[in-house]
Amino acid sequence: MSSNLSDLSSRPDPCAGKSASPPNETDHPVFVEMSNIWKRFPGVIANQGVDLELRTREVHALLGENGAGKSTLMHILSGMYQPDAGVIRIDGQEVQFRSPADAITRGIGMVHQHFRLVEMLTAAENIHLGWNETPWHVTTAVLAERTRRLSEEFGLSVDPNAKIWQLSTGEQQRVEILRVLARGARVLILDEPTSVLTPREADELFRVARDLAASGRCVVLITHKLDEVLSVSDKVTVLRSGEVAAQFDTEDCDRQMLATKLIGQDFVSRFHRKERQPGKPVLEAHGVNALSDRGLQALRELDLTIHEGEILGIAGVAGNGQSELAQVISGLRPVQKGTVRIDGNDLTRKPPNSFVDAGVGHIPEDRHGMGLMSDLSVMDNSILREYKRPPIARGFQIDQAEINRFTRELVKRAEVKVSDLKSPVRHLSGGNQQRLLAGRETRVASRLLIAVHPTQGLDVGATEEVRKALMDHRNEGSAVLLISEDLDEILILSDRIVVMYCGQIVGEFDAGAAQRADIGLLMGGAKLSEVTA
Amino acid sequence: MKADQGSSQPSVWRFRRRTDAPFWLNILIRLFAVALALVLVGVTLELSGLEPIALGKKALLQTLATSYGIQQTVILATPLIMTGLAVALGMKMRLWNIGTDGQLYLGAFAATAVGLFVQGPTWIMLVLMFMAGALGGILWIFIPALLRAYWNVNEIITTLLLNFVAVLLVSHFAIGPWRDTGAAILSATRRIPYELPAFGDSYLHIGIFIPVIIAALLAIMMRNTRWGYEVRVIGSNRGAAEFTGIPVLRHILLIMLLSGAIAGISGMIIIAGTSHRLSGTISNSYGYMGIIVAALANGSPLGVLISGVLLAILLNAGIVLQTSGLSVSAMLAINGVILIFAAVGEVATQYRLVREQIETRLKPDAGRLADDQAMQAGADAPEKEKTE
Repeated sequence: MSSNLSDLSSRPDPCAGKSASPPNETDHPVFVEMSNIWKRFPGVIANQGVDLELRTREVHALLGENGAGKSTLMHILSGMYQPDAGVIRIDGQEVQFRSPADAITRGIGMVHQHFRLVEMLTAAENIHLGWNETPWHVTTAVLAERTRRLSEEFGLSVDPNAKIWQLSTGEQQRVEILRVLARGARVLILDEPTSVLTPREADELFRVARDLAASGRCVVLITHKLDEVLSVSDKVTVLRSGEVAAQFDTEDCDRQMLATKLIGQDFVSRFHRKERQPGKPVLEAHGVNALSDRGLQALRELDLTIHEGEILGIAGVAGNGQSELAQVISGLRPVQKGTVRIDGNDLTRKPPNSFVDAGVGHIPEDRHGMGLMSDLSVMDNSILREYKRPPIARGFQIDQAEINRFTRELVKRAEVKVSDLKSPVRHLSGGNQQRLLAGRETRVASRLLIAVHPTQGLDVGATEEVRKALMDHRNEGSAVLLISEDLDEILILSDRIVVMYCGQIVGEFDAGAAQRADIGLLMGGAKLSEVTA
Repeated sequence: MKADQGSSQPSVWRFRRRTDAPFWLNILIRLFAVALALVLVGVTLELSGLEPIALGKKALLQTLATSYGIQQTVILATPLIMTGLAVALGMKMRLWNIGTDGQLYLGAFAATAVGLFVQGPTWIMLVLMFMAGALGGILWIFIPALLRAYWNVNEIITTLLLNFVAVLLVSHFAIGPWRDTGAAILSATRRIPYELPAFGDSYLHIGIFIPVIIAALLAIMMRNTRWGYEVRVIGSNRGAAEFTGIPVLRHILLIMLLSGAIAGISGMIIIAGTSHRLSGTISNSYGYMGIIVAALANGSPLGVLISGVLLAILLNAGIVLQTSGLSVSAMLAINGVILIFAAVGEVATQYRLVREQIETRLKPDAGRLADDQAMQAGADAPEKEKTE
């Protein structure tokens, strides 16, 4: 169990480039073998026939876009989900985990992207929750002492007596990792561990990951960042649409290869569009800075212009500032610095209804989070953007007959299938909910429509209809901002594509001429100069 | 990959949430629940050597078939409905005003102060007392409302704790400075000279219409005004309210103050309609009962009218039965059993019992996925009712 710190010197600096040690089959016995894993959720297959081998003494990167099935696969390995089909073997022995507790007793532990810690307890108490060798008489001193020992052994500094809520996210993550290691994990799964870390903390984490591998464990790193894969992993498995797209020894691959595998090279046929010259600018954002909900810098000096009759697609891995951008240009998120203009009028720091009045509609990313009120009726949901305007509003009153007429018209135009306008929106299928939301927002979006993941979770038919609605809106001369994690969708619909990375626009393409691999590289953090070179 | 769909799949009974229970079913389930409670109570009484049928008959006759009984029921229903409305209003925004008892006391306190120390024509004085009552209730919820709106302090705790402060404050004045020194009464104020007009020689006064009017106003406000719409949006999804620019915090504050005002007015009605003197015992836990009333009505203002009257009948029947050899504790136990069953019945309307097939380990293929999507698309189609 002791970490082998002397190995450190023989390893190259993780941040400098690839790891050097060649994988040696006898040194690195297969510990976990997952074969032909299938997992489906309603409407989507998350894993289809995935094979994966994890060896001891290796850092194994799982690379893939959002929704590629990385997390699902690891949730299956760590006992959170049960596979629909497929076999997991540990040390050659077939196992079936019914819960994460089963998995940890067999040495498999996962650190989730969103931590599972008890805020009001101390670090030591969290680390020892579920500790099965808890002595009969246990004091905080005993727990703190053991925590200190563990923290020294694994090189993860933690204050045992600090309450979780007092710790930074980086420290909380160390507590999570220690908790898993304290229970004897031989496979440590880290789900997008660097998304909550500063660059310094990330380097520190990678050092720990290397140490753990050197001490005979296996570290699985779920990520979508190419640089992380190249700098810390020994092996990389690329997942795409729930299937293994490629498996490499890290030393045999470079960024270009990974990006191509990550994004795929499927041909997409672009949507039919009316040829038109983009008109005058509708949205002009200049030098915009904004913070995320966690208080981190989400947008950095961002410049963006969208014109009439143009669909601008924003490609990027989730969490690079796209959501915050959509909120900033619809008045939902405070702007720290910079200006936001619609049709030349300065709307910086104006409330959301000023944006609606200026003709900005917004299909938000999570229709249940912001877009719809699931308990309220179709009628109530339809009028959300226009209940203050006549003819629906009459002084302080709202006119029920007028609401009925308005809703009937909206439902008809957006082709929402609904029998009773008074029934709650949650009785509608996902596709119908999205059609209603899209119809409502398109109605007010006479100038600019912001569509964030507009087809997420929809079936093929509904997806096509929503895309057609966006295209129609563009053909009528509105500006459309399309944010999507689905690069195909961006390529199919956009006139112009920009790539966002770390809160900035890092590249711009004319959609007809865009190369998938170039976009993939930029999404993974490459510089534009490297791509065009 | 070929799915072996031929294998027989085991099935189990499961509870599933539902939201589409028809009106008649809602009523039927509740009646069934109350009937079940009465049977349970009856059997218990029978086993204790009493005569449940005769007792039940007596209770019903004396509460609903005599003029006095009906009057008492209506008088008792008035504050129950008022506090029920106050609680139900908060429920619209998922706020729990547990402090209606305290606000009722403060409303009574303020109305008494006006009645004792201001002189004027009766009608003007009654209007002033009404406004004072509302203001007293507002005052008592103002701090919890501010804390809830701007600092997100849990309103359940703050409003609840202020109840105790209110009772003690009122008791202090009733026993101390404002005590009626002229009479042999030890713990109440002087009789207040301004009274709500009564009907003939009955105990009923025009105050009994106030809950009906307020319930109607609230129902109209919720349904037909912009403000009510905004309140419903916030109650259903705060994210959506912020998305469209509704000032959520201001609405939280206003709704809580309005809720406090309604509870305060009920205190004024008690002072000017029935008790005529302020004491530390004018509320028989009406505030807490109001929570039950609002919960039974599921937050609907018009429903509160019905559940308030039902609870009043239940309480009055209890008083009648106490004269027939049942102890107070037994009465409370019976009321509790009936209310628990009614509450369970309310929850039962939200579920259905269905027979479902268990997913066995299966090998997915494209065909199954298509089935799934078809199933999802059809998921909103009303299912056949098997049972409640």
